Amino acid sequence: MARRHALLAMWAAALGMPAAAQAPAVPPAFVQSDKGHCIACHQVPDGAGPATRADLGPRLDGARMRTLGKARLRELIDDPTRANPNTVMPPFGRHRILERTEIDRLVEYLHALP
Amino acid sequence: MRFREGVIAVFVMAALAGPAAADTPEQVRGAMAAALKERLPELAEAQYPLGSAAFDPDLRRALEENAAAGAGAIEAGKALWTRKFRDGRTLAGCFPNGGRRAAASYPQFDPRVKRVVTLEMAINQCLKAHNESLYDHSDPKTMGVVIAYLRSLSNGQKVAVRVPAAAEERFDQGRRLYHTRLGQRNFACASCHLQGAGKRYVDAPLSPAIGQATHWPVIRRGAPLTLQDRIRECLELMGAAPFPTGSEELNNIEYYLTYLSNGLPLSANAWRP
Repeated sequence: MARRHALLAMWAAALGMPAAAQAPAVPPAFVQSDKGHCIACHQVPDGAGPATRADLGPRLDGARMRTLGKARLRELIDDPTRANPNTVMPPFGRHRILERTEIDRLVEYLHALP
Repeated sequence: MRFREGVIAVFVMAALAGPAAADTPEQVRGAMAAALKERLPELAEAQYPLGSAAFDPDLRRALEENAAAGAGAIEAGKALWTRKFRDGRTLAGCFPNGGRRAAASYPQFDPRVKRVVTLEMAINQCLKAHNESLYDHSDPKTMGVVIAYLRSLSNGQKVAVRVPAAAEERFDQGRRLYHTRLGQRNFACASCHLQGAGKRYVDAPLSPAIGQATHWPVIRRGAPLTLQDRIRECLELMGAAPFPTGSEELNNIEYYLTYLSNGLPLSANAWRP
């Protein structure tokens, strides 16, 4: 009886769990050193990606990513020098470091960050 | 905080763009020092030679624990330094005072050949003059260990590179290369070591440009790695075709970078992970 109550409680909790609290899957390009290697410069919220002390770039949080919007995120990853000629961030699209589909997956990941 | 960040950004951007070509080397060094001071106000001048370790207590502790990491390389280098050539002379005989206190003034501009001469080139010049086989600049077992020994003879000496008027063009070439974005990743050396100095890339703090030239060769896994070999590694990471060791480009970058560290004490054979 006690075991059945515990199982029911767990199921109820799972049904009530909000989707936004689940971290999105980290795209390979985010961590691969020959691809975006975003993790080399940026931190993400706890649980949303590998932990790092890197701080050459700003911390990436979901609220800021959603304020920028997917189109703007895509532009910034493709060629951040258009917005800031002095940025250290590489032009991943313009310099063909990333394919369009890889940029798209990164945008989806960033937009879904907590 | 926003206003101060804006002021720092203007200062760093001006330094990143590079001073005007007419600026003297000392003015260039002063501008770099001022830009780094704005960027890293807490960093004392005495800490600049520590490089990355100035920003990471764990790394600094590891450096201290591994202070003798270069002992094997120095021993091997001493053997080559005092080895008799076929004509009975030695490498030591090519340098004043047997090489003691020599390294702090390299690279040097040689007006006869109108080129920057690095310590590696001076060693090979000696070998050539005595009909001995030259050392490969990138071979840690020969050139690397000799450099490890020779530079250890100048430990504590203040870096004192001279840039006479005839050499200013070479210095300026080195400066421009240091500040030019290269490769697929579009980085300049200055992107990390001025603009990003003190920040962490991957997990390691980025060393500031001033102080970078004081601790070479570094000892990595027991083997010496020269400054030019490290620059080549960086260029590859940047997605750029690396200039060959001993090339005009790398010699001039080394000339510029070492001049920036003038006045700081040399401390060769620093351990690196």
